[in-house]
Parts: sequence; structure tokens; C-alpha cells
Amino acid sequence: MKERRQVPPRSPDSMDFVMAAASQDSTRPQNTRAIMSFLREHAPFSNMDDNHLAHFAEHATLRFYADGDEVLKPDDGPVKRFYVVKQGRIKGERHNEKEDRAETTFSITQGECFPLAALISERPTRTLHRASGDTFCLSIEHEAFVTLFSESDTFRDFCLRGVSSLLDQVNQRIQSNAMASIGSNNRLDTPLERYALRNPIVCSPDLPVRKAVARMHENDVGSMIITDDNRRPTGIFTLRDLRTMIAEGKGPLDTPIRQIMTPDPMRLPATADAFEAAMLMAEHHFAHICVVDDDDKLIGVISESDLFSLQRVDLVNLARTIGTATHLRTLVSLRTNVSRLVDTMLAHGADSGQVVKIITTLNDVTVRRVLELNLRKNDPGIPFTWLTFGSEGRQEQTLLTDQDNGILFETPEGMTEEQVREKLLPFARKVNDDLAECGFTLCKGNIMASNPKLCLSVREWDDWFVRFIDASTPQNLVYSSIFLDMRAVFGPTEPLHRLLEHVLERIRKNALFQKMLAGNAFQRKPPLTMFNGFRYLNDEKKHALDLKRQGLAPFVESVRVFALANGVEQANTLERMDALARKGVFDAKDANAWKEAYSLIQAIRMRAHQEMLNRGEELTNYIDPDDLNPLDKRILRESFRQAQRLQQKLEVTYQL
Amino acid sequence: MFDSIKQWLAERKGTAVGDHDTSNLPTPKTAGDQLLSSSRLIVLDLETTGLNPAKDQVIAIGAVAIESGVIHLDDQFDLILRRPDLDIRETVLIHGIGPEALTQGHETEDALLHLLDWMNGDPVLAYHSAFDQKFLEKALKTQLGYTTGHLWMDVAELMPAFFPDANTKGKSLDHWADYFALEVSERHHAAADALVTAELTLIALNKARKTGVNTLRELTEKLHYQRRLQSMHRY
Repeated sequence: MKERRQVPPRSPDSMDFVMAAASQDSTRPQNTRAIMSFLREHAPFSNMDDNHLAHFAEHATLRFYADGDEVLKPDDGPVKRFYVVKQGRIKGERHNEKEDRAETTFSITQGECFPLAALISERPTRTLHRASGDTFCLSIEHEAFVTLFSESDTFRDFCLRGVSSLLDQVNQRIQSNAMASIGSNNRLDTPLERYALRNPIVCSPDLPVRKAVARMHENDVGSMIITDDNRRPTGIFTLRDLRTMIAEGKGPLDTPIRQIMTPDPMRLPATADAFEAAMLMAEHHFAHICVVDDDDKLIGVISESDLFSLQRVDLVNLARTIGTATHLRTLVSLRTNVSRLVDTMLAHGADSGQVVKIITTLNDVTVRRVLELNLRKNDPGIPFTWLTFGSEGRQEQTLLTDQDNGILFETPEGMTEEQVREKLLPFARKVNDDLAECGFTLCKGNIMASNPKLCLSVREWDDWFVRFIDASTPQNLVYSSIFLDMRAVFGPTEPLHRLLEHVLERIRKNALFQKMLAGNAFQRKPPLTMFNGFRYLNDEKKHALDLKRQGLAPFVESVRVFALANGVEQANTLERMDALARKGVFDAKDANAWKEAYSLIQAIRMRAHQEMLNRGEELTNYIDPDDLNPLDKRILRESFRQAQRLQQKLEVTYQL
Repeated sequence: MFDSIKQWLAERKGTAVGDHDTSNLPTPKTAGDQLLSSSRLIVLDLETTGLNPAKDQVIAIGAVAIESGVIHLDDQFDLILRRPDLDIRETVLIHGIGPEALTQGHETEDALLHLLDWMNGDPVLAYHSAFDQKFLEKALKTQLGYTTGHLWMDVAELMPAFFPDANTKGKSLDHWADYFALEVSERHHAAADALVTAELTLIALNKARKTGVNTLRELTEKLHYQRRLQSMHRY
């Protein structure tokens, strides 16, 4: 007796549906149609033609792997098949030689494909692919793969991009969104050597200004580079310098140019890209940069207008306008331009790392200008270093930002620290208020320079950190993400450097503090469930992920522990990872994977911010993963998995 | 594969109905020392007009082939038979084949001959195979006069033999499919049911390899033992 025949009959409605479906596509066998509709639910198949899907389905085999079975391994020789997970999961496994154990490097779930890179380059896989749980895979042979690859543009794009990097895909998407309104193909990562560098007009230091200007006029250029006998740039002279010279009556036109020129001009190697040039100009408000070879010999000059005509990015101009604003209200009005600039930068191919740096640079320029304007009005008469903490300290600010700052001063002879504070605090109060007007929200936790506890002398800061590190209370650990990511924005940097050396030395010697820091970082789990689903924020926000606290923080916190324990002075998370890789603390491949994952989350976060801004909403760090397309979802999940791996390293290192 | 069937059927158009030469068909294989890892196995499911082999008829045949432990989707069988004379109102609701789809089917004799040819004498697996075996053997006998027996194995026995501790909440195909979280694309469609039965077979074969059951003979012995074990429990 067949039990399965005793199920209740179908309702008439579903019958109609079945019949309709069957007559629509009845030339294909049921199982082929079933595989096609499975494929259609997943990228890149969702965008492929039915004929191509049918080709896949008709040439597919279905294989089963029990939990723990090997699917592909490096010894198998060149990869011959293309696989799609139909059910279950495949994990990538790499042997960690240092710790002599297997590490999971990636996880491929339903609807995802493997092994793209190995298949396309016709080499063996480098990673052992192992089934995790009962797993079925559809697969096609190399020949069918090649057919699809050559006939389907969608499929080919997917395969090639999958190989290059997921990061590119996200960036491409960001750009194509922003590009739609701008319509330009110039990318900021174009190397300077690719720009049409005019043969630069050069002269020797002894040339009289009159002759130099005549030569500039003949050649219709705005700048002249002064070089030594070896063609190394020693100075630059621009029309602006000529104007100043005449306006201020600095001397006759027969003066040798070396007395008027700006010595030691900014320079970059030819391999540097447009982005670096723009950043350097924005930071120093120079309009020209010398491009030199490895030997420091002049190759060409790149001007602000070169960049502008190519990029139409108003970064340098905006930075200069901010940096020379004479009134607070000008600064306030300029802030809206920053957000527009971010849009443009994204459109021109800046990646998330570049954009956060631009925002930080412009924020720094703003902070400096606010300080300068206040000094002009009301100089407290005591030199100080303006410190920033937290995300601004890490140079990781986005458009959503608040103030975390403090003051470091050297107590002048004959004054007490209290007396210095009496002078500095009212000044700091005014600066904090002015910054708030410019859009830097006042810090709710009062981590601001106007707080007497954060306006301290070098000695006091040093004592403060001794207490902070030696008496590691839970409250201190909460503050570690703020005070251990510190940077000078204004004033002499030397005192901070000395302070940091002491702090790092103390942390390096204090294993207990390191372990507590690690334990704290380990608490911040990436938002993934055991089964690789997303773990949402809480019951109230059922479908929300907090990209900053759940996504980025696990990276930032874990990397900080390693950085501080290994004497890395940088505060920027990406730079810290680079430094840790150089020191051999991180495996270079791991460091790259983590940097990429971190940047991807940051990119998705920034795109969300821009969209909120365009809709006129208040900026938050929440996103609903269901709003993302399947590719971004997968990228996000994979990035969170990288955070888990980083935390595993923390766990092993500190035996948590 | 469908093109090949069409071509094959077209070639057969010339021959008179009823004039079938069954002597050149492949000889069914017996359970010997063939390695499971390199054998071809047929996994089959029939849809019928009812449950009684004496009076009910086959209306659809779905089958897939497992070769070397892999299901090859370019090697499958998915046919609706042409039986316009049948009264199928009773079971039509279960498998969704209406009179219209049936009339588009193939001549039964042709289809059965092609099935035998395609099966190539390889062992046949089905879920509750006694049912499919009775229906198919009766159809082969009445339509073609063919009486040679194939080696049949029951996937309903195969599963508990290799997964004795599985808590499946029941013994049906659905229960085992649920247990392994398999998706059935279209329940009670012969080909879809055959595919899910084949998926279960893959799972069992994977386990077989790991427990030292390597040949067809060892597999049938294992099933024989399983049957005896069950009948012992019964008494």
C-alpha cells in the first residue's frame, strides 16, 4: 500500500495553476523546469535568458555530499566543473600553519556558485571545499560552462567580476548610481603619469623674475618650476606669487627668482593617483604639484585645473574656501557642500576608504578654521594641541558625526595647570559651540575640550592614561574606543607623539589590560546567526542591522587590540591592519580580506547615508538587509564572516 | 534527451502497432560484484489511475538515472502515456494530469519499448517499489508481452537500512524528504517524485560507501537482511 497516495486531493485552484504552467512550458521536462526556477531565484541566473538557464539545467548533474565530505581539493588538479549549491553549505578550509589547525575562510550557501577563480584560470583550487551539513550541488562540466560563459553576457560579467573582487562590484554599483546624473568616465584612481602632463616650464634659481614671467607668458602657463642642475625641483613660482610680490612691493622685477619662489614644492611620484594629488592640494591649499620620478627628477606638473577639468570635483576649491573663510556663518553654509561633494566623489570612483578620508580631511579643515577664527578673536595666549578621539581620531568619519575632542598643553613656566585651564576652557567652550553650529553635534558624554577633565597638560594626560590602563574598570573599557584612537588636528604634534609612545609602552607591558581589552572587543559579535542568517538588532527593530555597531565595530575593536599590543601608533583601522601585516602579526592574505570586508560594510553604510540624505531623512546606521539585492546581501554576510574570523584570531591569541 | 526520443519515435512510425520485436532489448542485470560507485541505477516513479494493479492503469512514467553516484539530468525519462479511453477522474486531482494532457501523450507501446531500451537492463529503484513493479510488469506484459524481470530495490527499505536511527515521524516518501529537507518541485508528478527518490538514494549510497557496502550484491544482501530484521520485529 502506498501511503503517499493518500494525501488529500489538490484544491481546484492549484490544479488550474499546474495546468497553466504545464501548457506554458510543456516542451521541457518537469525536472529541467524545476532546476530553471531554482536558478532564477539567485544571481546571476536571475538575469539570464531562459535558453541559457535551460542549457544549464539540461547539462547539469546533481551530487550529494554528507556533512564533512570533501567536495574539491587542491590535489584534484585543475578544476573541471562549475558548481551551484542547491541545498546545504560548502565551507572553504585553509590550513593555518602557525596554529596547526583548519580555518574556515568562506562559506557558500544555497544558490551561490564556486569555484570561479580556479575554473576561469584553469588551475586547481587553492582551498579545500568541504560540505557543511547534508549538501546537494548542481554542477556542469567545463564545456557547458564555456558555452554559457561565451553566450551569456550576464554570466560572463558575473564570473569575471567574482574573480577580480567583490569590492569592485559594490564600487561599480555605487558609481553607476551616482554616475547616472553626472555622466563622466574619469576615475580618481587614474595614475598621474596618465594625465597629459605638459612639458613643465623650468628655470634656474638665478633667473630674474622679469624673465621668468616673460617665459610663462610666452608659454601661456600659470606656474614655473625652479630646478637645480639635476632637474630636481627646488621651488615653484606662480602668478599668485607675482601678484603678492607686486602688491606688497617685495622688490624689483630683477630680483633672482629664488628669493621670491616658494621653496621645496609639493611633489608626488608618477605612480600616485589623481586622488592623492587632490588630497594633497586640499590639505595644503596648493594649486600645483610636481610629479617626479624615483630619482626625484621633475617629470611634469599637475595643476588644480588639470584635476578639475578632468574630474569636475570641487574638493580643492571647497577645502580652500573652508580654510580661508572669515566668518563662522560662511563655514556653516559650506557644510552642505560637503555632502554634495561626497556624492560627486562617489561618482568619480572614490572608494569608501577614500571618501571617509575626504570627509575627515574637510572636517579637519573646518575644525582648524574654527580654531583659527577663535584665536583671531580671543587668543588665550597659551600654545596647545587640539586632539580628536574616536572615529574622527581614526579618520573614519562619515556624514553622521559628533564631537569627541580634547586639549593637550605644555604648562608655561611660572603657571599652574589650573591657571592654564582657566584661560583655555572658555576658549574651548566657544570652539565646541561653533563646531556644533557647523554640524558637529555636541558630544552627549561631554567628551569635549571644554570639559576640565579633558583639557590637560602632558603630565596630566600621562597620569590619566596610567590610571586608565592600570585600573581597567568596565567604564574604562567602554572609553577605550574613544581615547585609544587619538590624533592631533591642530597645534604641535610632538607632545602627542611622546604621550602616545608612553601609552603604547605601558599597554605592551600590561598583559592583563590587553586581555580585558580583547575580552571587551570579543563581546561585539558580528550580526550572524549560527546558520549564517542575519542576527537582527532586537525585537523592536526586527529587520534592522546597525552597520556601525554590529558591522564595523567588531573590526575596529579587534584591530585596536592588536595594534596597541604591538606598538602600532596609527589610529586608522585600515592603516592599523597594514601596519600589523607589515609586522607579521596578521597574515598578509588575512589582512587583505579583512580590509576588503571592512571597506565593503563601510561602502554599503555610506550608500545608505546618501540615500537617506536624498530622501531628506535623518541619518542612521540602520539598514534592512531585505532592502539589499541578493549580491549585496551575500557580500554583507561574507564580510560579517570575515569579522568572525578576525575575532577567532583574537580568541586564540588571548585565550578568551 | 527529448530530441532523441522524438527521433526514436519517428523512426518507429514505420512499423505497425502491435508488431514489436522484444527480443533485441537489453538483458536485465543481476546483483553481482558490480561496484555501486560505477554502476548505473534507474530511479522510477509511476502515476496511475488508481491503486489496484488488476484494474488501474499507468498514465505517466518519470525516471532518472544515477551513474557513478551522480544524478545526470541529461539522462532522464519524463513521459505521459496516451490513454484517452481511461476514466481518470478519481486520481487526476492527485497528480494533476487532466484528460487534455493525457491525449498529448505517447502511444503506450512505443513509450514502454523506449523505456526498456533506455533502462538498459539496469537495476530499478522506487519508493515502495512493489507498487511500481506490479504496475509496470503488468503493463509490459499486456502491451508488449514482455515478461523478463528486472532487479528491483525499494528505497523505502534502503533508507531505514542505512539510517536506522532517523526520527522521520513516518515511513512515507514525504517523511524522508522532510527529514533531509529535500524540496519536491511538484509533488505527484512522476518525474519530480523520481528525482526526490533519487536524491534520497544518493544520500543512502553515500552512507553505503562509508559503511563498506560497495557492490550491488552487498547492497541487495543488506536490504534482504533489513527485511528479515523487520519481519522478526513483526512477530
